Amino acid sequence: MTEITTFADLLERHEREIFAYALRLVGDRDEADDVYQETFLAAFRSFPPPRRGQERAWLYRIATNKVIDRARRRKRLVRMDDLRLVAPERDGTSLADLSAAIKVLPAGQRAAFVLRKVQGLEYADVARALECSEDAARARVAEAMKKVREAMK
Amino acid sequence: MNDLMTDARERLVARARREGLETVGYRVMDSPLGPLWIAVGPKGVLAIHYGAEPDPGELGRIVRTYGPGLLPDARRADAVARELDQYFAGKRRTFDVPVDLSPLTAFQRRILRATAQVGFGDVSTYAKVARRAGNEKASRAAGQALGGNPIPIVVPCHRILASDGSLGGYAGGLDAKRRLLQLERGLIPPGGWPKKPARQS
Repeated sequence: MTEITTFADLLERHEREIFAYALRLVGDRDEADDVYQETFLAAFRSFPPPRRGQERAWLYRIATNKVIDRARRRKRLVRMDDLRLVAPERDGTSLADLSAAIKVLPAGQRAAFVLRKVQGLEYADVARALECSEDAARARVAEAMKKVREAMK
Repeated sequence: MNDLMTDARERLVARARREGLETVGYRVMDSPLGPLWIAVGPKGVLAIHYGAEPDPGELGRIVRTYGPGLLPDARRADAVARELDQYFAGKRRTFDVPVDLSPLTAFQRRILRATAQVGFGDVSTYAKVARRAGNEKASRAAGQALGGNPIPIVVPCHRILASDGSLGGYAGGLDAKRRLLQLERGLIPPGGWPKKPARQS
């Protein structure tokens, strides 16, 4: 893959997945739009990405922090009503069930769950996105999975 | 790209422009000669490239001059796209948009400025352009500088021919050069040539 040299490269390569990720986390199109914009503006301001080849995890980290900041500011759980717009149905589990289950997760676990189970990132990239160790990322996903399973019983 | 994403991107680019993060805006326009990749910076038009993608060398020059803040921004390139449309329709003979030659060497700038003096419908030669740029013996170098003209059509390197009257070269291909010269002699169909998009959908 060629090197990212301009803002346009970053945008062309990652904007869709970052928008989808934001939408999956916040569940509202307008709010996801805000997160997408804040994420890329922050990325443009601190361009270039800190490590070559890791811009994807870098963008996910910025987006995750934006979502967590917003959730903290508002001190409320997010809605997942718009999940249907972008998330495919997986393993026979309806999106409505999944979104309801994800709702119960705290922001950090929700991000870990979506990064790994919905966006399909490797644990190393989940760890980079969440600024934690790979072990901690695995633990968060495992804890989230446990809670999601319980919620879906 | 779906509507949701298109709207989001437009808002993002507008904010980046307002915050001064976007230094160069670009768009791809359809033309009778195929798609043209157009970039506009703070001082004017930086590039008109034959094709839907920028030339890597040209892109490198833009990034070295204006940094990485290059974004797809149709609005920023609207004026030059409009003037090009008018030109291809036979309704414009000169361009009003400013051009920015600052990423080029001093010699290239001199050659391109000399080329810009050749008016609509006229032609000149590499040797004459070299002489006008202050170096009579540099006609080969003038040809090379014109081959690397980042702003063809607006800086009319298609009006420069070999001394024997043959077409010489052209970055957009000799057929494009021939058609531009025909256009300037009034040899275009009523209403102009049809546009040739990058790909048919």
